[in-house]
Amino acid sequence: MGRQVCCISAGYSEHASKRSDVNMPELINEAIQDCLKKVPSVSLDDIDAFANGNMPAFEGINIPELWMTDWMGARCKPLMRVTTGGTTGGTVAICGYYSVAAGIPGIDTVLAVAFEQQSQGDTSLGLASVALGEISILNTLGITYDQLNRLLSAGAAIGVAAYQATTYMSKARITEEDLARVVVQERRNAAKTWWAHLKMPNLTIEDVLDTPYVQYPLRFGMVCPASDGACAMLFTTEEKAKEWADIPVYVNGVASVANETAVLGYNGSGSAQLDPSTQLGAMRTAELAYSQAGISFPRKEIDYAELYGPFPNQTLMWSEKLGLFEETTAPKMWEAGVTNLNGELPINCSGGVNATNAIGASAMERPAEAALQIMGKASNQVPKTVHTSIGHGWGGSLNLCTLMVMADQPKRKFK
Amino acid sequence: MSEKKTYQRTEKKALEYIKKEYIKTRTLPGAWYLSSYTYKFDITHMQPFLKKLKDKKLIGNRCSGCNRIFFPPRLVCGQCLVKPDRWVDIRETANVATYAIAYLKNPDTGEIEEKPMVLVQHDGSNTCCIAQMAPNVNVKDMYINMPLKVHWKDERTGGLMDIEYYDVIEDASKDLSSKKE
Amino acid sequence: MEKVGIVGYNQVKLSSDANYGRYEMIFEAVRGAIDKAGLKKKDISTVISCTNDYYDGRTISNCFTVEVGGGYMADETKVEMDGAHAVLYGLMRILSGNHKLAVVWGGSMASCFPYHATRLFETDPTWERQMALVNDVTASGFQMRAYMEKYGISAEEIAKVAVKNRKNSTKNPLALSESQNPNLTVQDVLNSDIYADPVTELMVAQPCDGVAALLLAPEQQALKITDKPVWITGVGWYQDAYYLGDRDLSTIRSMELAGRKAFDIAGIKNPKNEIDVAELFEAYAHEELILAESLGLVEKGKGPTLNTEIGGDLPINPSGGALSGNPPCATGLIRIIEAAKQLRGEANGYQVSGAKRAIASGQIGMCAQNSILYVLEKGGN
Repeated sequence: MGRQVCCISAGYSEHASKRSDVNMPELINEAIQDCLKKVPSVSLDDIDAFANGNMPAFEGINIPELWMTDWMGARCKPLMRVTTGGTTGGTVAICGYYSVAAGIPGIDTVLAVAFEQQSQGDTSLGLASVALGEISILNTLGITYDQLNRLLSAGAAIGVAAYQATTYMSKARITEEDLARVVVQERRNAAKTWWAHLKMPNLTIEDVLDTPYVQYPLRFGMVCPASDGACAMLFTTEEKAKEWADIPVYVNGVASVANETAVLGYNGSGSAQLDPSTQLGAMRTAELAYSQAGISFPRKEIDYAELYGPFPNQTLMWSEKLGLFEETTAPKMWEAGVTNLNGELPINCSGGVNATNAIGASAMERPAEAALQIMGKASNQVPKTVHTSIGHGWGGSLNLCTLMVMADQPKRKFK
Repeated sequence: MSEKKTYQRTEKKALEYIKKEYIKTRTLPGAWYLSSYTYKFDITHMQPFLKKLKDKKLIGNRCSGCNRIFFPPRLVCGQCLVKPDRWVDIRETANVATYAIAYLKNPDTGEIEEKPMVLVQHDGSNTCCIAQMAPNVNVKDMYINMPLKVHWKDERTGGLMDIEYYDVIEDASKDLSSKKE
Repeated sequence: MEKVGIVGYNQVKLSSDANYGRYEMIFEAVRGAIDKAGLKKKDISTVISCTNDYYDGRTISNCFTVEVGGGYMADETKVEMDGAHAVLYGLMRILSGNHKLAVVWGGSMASCFPYHATRLFETDPTWERQMALVNDVTASGFQMRAYMEKYGISAEEIAKVAVKNRKNSTKNPLALSESQNPNLTVQDVLNSDIYADPVTELMVAQPCDGVAALLLAPEQQALKITDKPVWITGVGWYQDAYYLGDRDLSTIRSMELAGRKAFDIAGIKNPKNEIDVAELFEAYAHEELILAESLGLVEKGKGPTLNTEIGGDLPINPSGGALSGNPPCATGLIRIIEAAKQLRGEANGYQVSGAKRAIASGQIGMCAQNSILYVLEKGGN
C-alpha cells in the first residue's frame, strides 16, 4: 500500500513584520510563483490537488482558502485544508505528502501552501484565545480575575517556552550566554537568506544580553518576531519527479505526535508534564519518523537539520530530543561550531524561527529549507553535499511535534 | 556552571535589523466578536475535590489503567482513554516542578514588578498545576525541586483560591550535593 | 484504489442546547466508537479531528481535546472543513500504508455561538463583508431563486423535500428533537419565517450541538475487527470558484466533478441504477434536488420527479439528512455514518432493505463551494 513521494520544489514570499503591500491571496501567490519558478517544466495544469493551511484567528477570516481559490490556481480542482496552530505548516506539508502517498487515482502532484499575515490582526489576542475557554473554567473554580489577568498577560506571549527554558537550563547547567550564542548564529544566518525577516549580520552576544527580560529567563533580544509570509512546497510521485527535477528529494519519514497539554491542562486540571523539557511527544515523533526512513543513528546519518526554535533554549532542546546530540551536550556543540555553516551538522542555516516567524508558515519553512539544501538551491547553502535532512515543527501548549525526514535516495520498498 | 541570575533592566528593547520598505495598499477595519461566545463546560468531576478544600483536605483521582494520580482531578486519562475512578489523599507538601518570572506593570504604582509563576507538584501526585508563591519569597532563591507547603486561606469557600499560596519550607536534602547547583 | 473499511462509528444524540461540556461530548463519541468496535486505546494509530476555530471561539480549537479524543501519543492532526473531509484525510493516511487504525471525529456546539453570523467571517473582507449582505443564508436564497427560475420549479416542490426529511427524522433516534415532525405539511413549511426569500425557516438545516466519530482500517485489519466492514470504493472532492457570480448557481459544479471522479474510481457507469441509497448533506432543502441532478441521479430540471422516499426508486436521506440536525463540522461525517448504517443493516426504523451500495456527501463554503462524495459498498456477508 502507498507509494514513494518526492518533493521537487519549495518557494517563499518575502517576510516582514508588516507586508503592507499585499493582501492574503497576493501573498500566497508570491510564494507559489517562487516555487513554480524553480521547476519550469511544471505548469499549473500539471497540479492535481492542493493543500492549504494557516491559523485563521490572526486575520479574522474563516476558512480563507475558499477566498484564495483563484490565486492558487485551484478553481475546479481538489483542495483540502488542515490547521493545527503553531505546527500548521508542518501539518500542511504532511498533508501534501499523504495526498500523493495515498495513490488515489488522478492525484499525483500536490501543491501545499501555508501562510500567515499576522499584521492584519492582533497577535496577542489570537494567542491568548487559545486558552480563553480554559481560563474561564479556572475562574469558575475560584481563581480570581486578577490572577487570571496575570496568567494571560505574562504567559500568553511566551507561554510554555519559559518553563521549558528554566528546566532545561538547570539540567544542562548553562547560562544566558549559551542562549544568546544560538540567537547570534541564527540571525547572522538569516542575513544571508533573502526571504528572512530579522537580518542582523553584525549581531553580538552582548547586544542580545543588553535587552530587558520578557519572562525570565528569556530576554526581548531572544524572542522570535511576528512576521507576515507564505511558503509553498510541491510534492509528486517518483516517476514524475525524475522527469521534472534535477535532484528529486525523497520524503522517507513523516510523523506528528502530540503529548499532553502543558502548563494549563484542559478543564483546569494541570499537566502531567512535570519536566517540560522531557518532551515525550518529540521523542515519539522522532522514533516513528526515523523508523519509517530507516535511520538508526541520527547523529551520523543526518547531514542537515532545520529545527523549530522560536526561543533559543528550544533549538538546543530539540537537537537533543530528536537524537542529534546527547542529552545536555547541545550548548557545547554550538560553542564548538559544530552547527554552523561549515560544521559537521549545520542547523538552521536559514535563520530558523528565531529570525522569521509567520506562525502558519514557519513549520513548513523548516522542511522546505531542508529539501532545498539537498537540491542545492537554498539561499544560504551549506558547502558540503547534503544527503539526508530533517525539518521539524513544534506547536504551542500541546507540544505537538511534526517531523519530515528527506533524503536523496529512497529508503522504503513498497509492495 | 550555572551563574546566579542578574536582573538588570535596560531601556533598549528592539535590536536593529535590515528592513525593506513596502508600499501601503488599502486597508479596511474589522473585528472578531469573541465576546459573543459562551463556553460550556462541566466541572461535576471536580465537586468532591472542591468540597474537601473547605475542610483543608486535598484529594486527587487515580486512573486504574496506568495508576497515575492526578491533582487537580482530571476528567479523562489520555493515556488509557478512560475516566479515573478512585479518589486518593494527597499530602500538603509539594515541590517546584518548574518556574518562570514575569515582569508586569503594577496598575497602581506603575512600576515593573517581578512575579514568580510556578508549576507545583504535590507529593503523591503525578501532575503539576499552576500556583502562587508566598509574597515574601525572593525570586533569586528559587530553584527546581524547591520544597513547598500549602498555606491555607483563613476563610475557605470551596474554590481553588482556598490554597492561598505556597510557603517555602526547610530543604531536608540541603546537605546533599544532588539538591541544586 | 485499495480497499479501506469503516469498522466502527458512534454519534452523540443531537440537541439544540446540550447539557454537556465539550470534553464530555467528544469523549463519549470517541470512546463509544472504540468500545463498539471492540478495540482499545493502544490500537489507535492516528487521530484526525475536525473543528473550526471560529465555531469554537478559540484559536487552535483541537489543542485541549487531544486527550479526550484519543490522540495522546498518537499521530494527531486536524482538518478545518466538514467532517467528511476529515474522513478523506483518514482515508489517505490509511492508503499510504503508514497507519493501521484511524479515528476521525468532528463536531461543535452551535448553542455557544451565533452560527449564521459567524458565517459572515468567510466572506471576502474587501467587498462582501463591508456590505454584510452576503452570508450563507442569503447566498442560498440566490441559489434557490436561480434554480427555480431556470427550470420552472415551484416553491411547493422544494418544500416537499423539507417535509419528507423532517418526517424521516422522526424514526432516527439520534436526530434533533426540534426537527422531528411527522405531521408537517407543505403549507407549514412555506408559512414559516422567511430567512431570505424564498428560503424559509423550515427549509434550513438547523445548527445544533453534536459530535460524531468514525473508525477506518485497511482491508486486512478491517476483516479482523468486524465481519460487517463497509468499504470505501470511490472518493472525489473538488472546489469551485469563490465569488457567487462566477458560478451557475442552479447547479453545484463542484459536486458534478466530485461525483464523476468518485463514480469513475468505483467503476460505476449508471449511478441511478447502481446506487441503492444516498445520504447527501443538504444545508437547505433545495440543495437536495440540485445535488441529485448534479450527480446524474436524475435529469437536470427534473429533480422533483425522482421518488426519494424510503420505499421509492432511490431513497435520499432516509435518516432525515442535514435537515434532521446540522452540528457544524460533524454533519458530513454523520452522513457517512448513516450510509454505513444502511449498508450494515443497523438503521432500525428507517432501513432501506437490501442496500448494497451507497453514496454519502459533504460540503463546505457558500452554496457548496467545495463538495466531497464517497461511494460505499457493503462488505462481509
